[in-house]
Amino acid sequence: MFINRCLICLLSLGVLVFSSCEKDEPDPINQEELITTLTYTLTPADGGETVVLSFRDLDGDGGNAPEISGGTLSANTTYAGVLNFLNETESPAESITDEIREEDDEHQFFFTSTLPGLSFIYLDQDDNGAPLGLSNGLTTDNEATGSITVILRHEPNKSATGVADGDITNAGGETDIEVTFPVDVQ
Amino acid sequence: MYNKVYLNLILYLLAILPLAGQDCAIRISGTVLDEATNLPLSYVNVFLQEPGKSTTTDEAGLFYLEAVCKGEYHILLSHIGCEAEEIQIFLDRDTSLTIILEHTAISLEDIVVEAKRNNYDNQPSLSVSRQKIEENLNKTLSGLLENETGVHILKNGGGIGKPVVDGLFGNRLTILNNGIPQSGQQWGNDHSPEIDPSTADRITVLKGTNAIAYGSGNLGSVILIEPDKIDRETHLHGGVNYAYETNGRGNNVNVQLQKYSSILAWRVNGTLKKYGDRKTADYFLNNTGSQEANLSLQLEKSWNEKVFVDFYASTFNTQLGVLRGSHIGNTTDLSEALNRKIPFFTEPDFSYQLEAPKQKVFHHLAKLSAKYFKDETQSVEIIIAGQINDRKEFDVRRSGRTDIPALSLRQYTFNGDIKYRKRFSGLWSLEVGTQNVAIDNTNDPVTGIFPLIPDYFSWKSGIYSTLSKPINKLTLDLGIRYDYENQNVVTLNMDLSQPVRRFQNNFHNFGGVLGLKYRLSKNQSMTLSTGYATRNPAINELYSMGLHQGVSGIEEGDENLEMEKSVKTTLDYKWLPSTKFSLNALAYYQNINDYIFLNPQDEIRPTIRGAFPVFKYEQTDAIIYGLDISTQFSITNSLYGLLKYSFIRGMDTSNDIPLINIPPNSLFGSLTFRTKKSMRIAKIKLEQFEFELNNRFTFEQKNILEDQDFAAPPPAYNLLGIKFSTNIILPKNKIRFFTKVDNLLNVAYRDYLNRQRYFADDLGWSLTTGIHFKF
Repeated sequence: MFINRCLICLLSLGVLVFSSCEKDEPDPINQEELITTLTYTLTPADGGETVVLSFRDLDGDGGNAPEISGGTLSANTTYAGVLNFLNETESPAESITDEIREEDDEHQFFFTSTLPGLSFIYLDQDDNGAPLGLSNGLTTDNEATGSITVILRHEPNKSATGVADGDITNAGGETDIEVTFPVDVQ
Repeated sequence: MYNKVYLNLILYLLAILPLAGQDCAIRISGTVLDEATNLPLSYVNVFLQEPGKSTTTDEAGLFYLEAVCKGEYHILLSHIGCEAEEIQIFLDRDTSLTIILEHTAISLEDIVVEAKRNNYDNQPSLSVSRQKIEENLNKTLSGLLENETGVHILKNGGGIGKPVVDGLFGNRLTILNNGIPQSGQQWGNDHSPEIDPSTADRITVLKGTNAIAYGSGNLGSVILIEPDKIDRETHLHGGVNYAYETNGRGNNVNVQLQKYSSILAWRVNGTLKKYGDRKTADYFLNNTGSQEANLSLQLEKSWNEKVFVDFYASTFNTQLGVLRGSHIGNTTDLSEALNRKIPFFTEPDFSYQLEAPKQKVFHHLAKLSAKYFKDETQSVEIIIAGQINDRKEFDVRRSGRTDIPALSLRQYTFNGDIKYRKRFSGLWSLEVGTQNVAIDNTNDPVTGIFPLIPDYFSWKSGIYSTLSKPINKLTLDLGIRYDYENQNVVTLNMDLSQPVRRFQNNFHNFGGVLGLKYRLSKNQSMTLSTGYATRNPAINELYSMGLHQGVSGIEEGDENLEMEKSVKTTLDYKWLPSTKFSLNALAYYQNINDYIFLNPQDEIRPTIRGAFPVFKYEQTDAIIYGLDISTQFSITNSLYGLLKYSFIRGMDTSNDIPLINIPPNSLFGSLTFRTKKSMRIAKIKLEQFEFELNNRFTFEQKNILEDQDFAAPPPAYNLLGIKFSTNIILPKNKIRFFTKVDNLLNVAYRDYLNRQRYFADDLGWSLTTGIHFKF
């Protein structure tokens, strides 16, 4: 009968068209843009012990929590600060610092701190003479406990009010890096 | 339908040959042909109404009427198996006519279509006509539906939007493009459906529970985008539609061409759109332009009045800009952006330039369907279709990587359906069908970013049956459905070695609906329908992992999610006491157990980019209920009023808190002045002149808690608009002209369902002018 024939058609289609299928294994992702590691090396201008603040998160955003290590600075001391960035998922580890330097006009670092009297200055400029911040100077005040936050903005408005002096308020852009280190001043 | 036949008849008065004649001695001769076969039709009754003369056609399909006076007449043609048709004619001399009749056998398809339309009548629905689609050429599919009762739009700026019907969207809403469930990345709140509404002759929103025949029953509503059958018109016909919109300086053009022949009927439809930066009341929204290029081809062929085959292919290609100032890094950036009056990166100048962040999407569809009519009561339809959906999203990235997509997904979908329909005596009708879908979704590793959703292959097979039976004043609709779904997923883990995990999920879904339509009186009806359905957790809900840049949050799926189980009841009341007044009210109540939603966690996770809030897919019990009311009334013969109100609430009943992203209540009203008579302004004749004043008031969404969202819902707003349209009659052609202004008062406002509201105002005033030329 017509109906029966149709029903057989209907039911058989599912079996005909699909057979169990395994999805291919995905290719590994080459996360070349990832920043896994940040080191902030602070060298006292008048000699003394170098302090290294570091951040390390090998699996990127999400996943396992990052390892953050702070440090102890001396009171009333001026340090020369150098920032260095790595992508350690690549082998050998790739320097992201170079990438930032190549696009220095699109980047700017900002430094904030909860430590009273701590001050920062920019020691490098981009091609247009605006501050960058990979190389910077830090001066401590009296003894205290607090933190230092390093921020990298991508495509900030470098000509906005206060931005050249390191004030982030009007900078805009996206935050590529924002890491806070616990710091003691003794 | 009847209109079309009537028009066809007029057009088919192929030759009105002037012959010599005198008053009251005019002779009419004619040939009646069967439209399908082009063969003469004998025994057609030909009745000249005014003098009451009649005759029948002979074996050659010929007829003669003698001694007719000069004047205007109506000729009535009737034939067994044909609907009686009437044509109007002015006689002042001997006249010869060729009349082509549409035979019923050919209309079998139409009967089925009619039956389907009647099905729509048995459940709450609303539809948008071709004219409205043409006059909204500047709108997206979502935008077209914006002022319809119970429909809202979840937006991400001016050009990106997805429809929300009675509170449900995305994975919970089915969109059928030409009968094929649209298959793309529907999980993303910032992903528009990839459909060109200009290809449709009608867009219908089914709001009841009868969606069971249209796909994996989730009891959400169904949006049907349907082109008509190609007109049986043997000459080349078509139309050109052009519209310019001031906001965004957008150019829109649509061209349609079609031709029918018994060998093959075809229709081609193409659309091009280009927009630049849109503007709020006070400033430009930089990088919110868009570009679109679409093409579709429809082919139809029938054999021996028994087999009807149609082929449809379409390609949709778009590039959509996303407001630069809405692209942010971490939560610090977000709170900074929230506190700004004007977004970062706002420039004083207009530009058509599209830069990152942007989306580049294409969607191709090919569908072949064959219908076989066993006899006048039975038919079988086989549909096969393939879809390719490709989505690339570009972000602002370092070191020239902006040109590399940050998200790149390609999805292949295969659909195979068989439907059997039978009408029994007593207007019983039965439909049995199977639907099969296979989806293959793959991430392109070129992004260099861990994909938010994993690669997967899934297939789903379903069978369903619907039955409709009228019993006196009652119409009974019954439907049952079973689906089996298999998901084969491979996820990459974020560890350094990037280990692969495999998942195999199997789901069995059962669903059923019961609908009762009761005719209270000649002009009142009531429809009660209730249905049960389940929805399987979608891939993003199960396995999302990582930072969702668009929403500044880390999203985590839960591989142990269970299917959602839902019971929905709707009560629809229609009242048409006269041609001057109508009222439609729809109340709905939907209970969803194990409702899947993205729940903000207490955790803030540190990353090198700063801290991000964590969201997890969780399940709860939820209810969504609401009321849609619309009424139309005529104040005078040429002044019409329309009022629409929609109320909606969504609650998480387990935690006794509101659901997020539920549309606020809204009230829409319009007053239209419309003349049926033609009028003359200077030497130009105008026809179907229409002037409309409309107003939409959107209430504030108060049903939400402060800690459920980044920012409080925006206040209520009111948008006023005007529209003017008319036909301009030229010696040989008609042109439809329309112009409208949206947001006439240039109100600065923000909409709760627009994600851009965190960063910027919504669109300011905009004037759109368009012409539509048909030939």
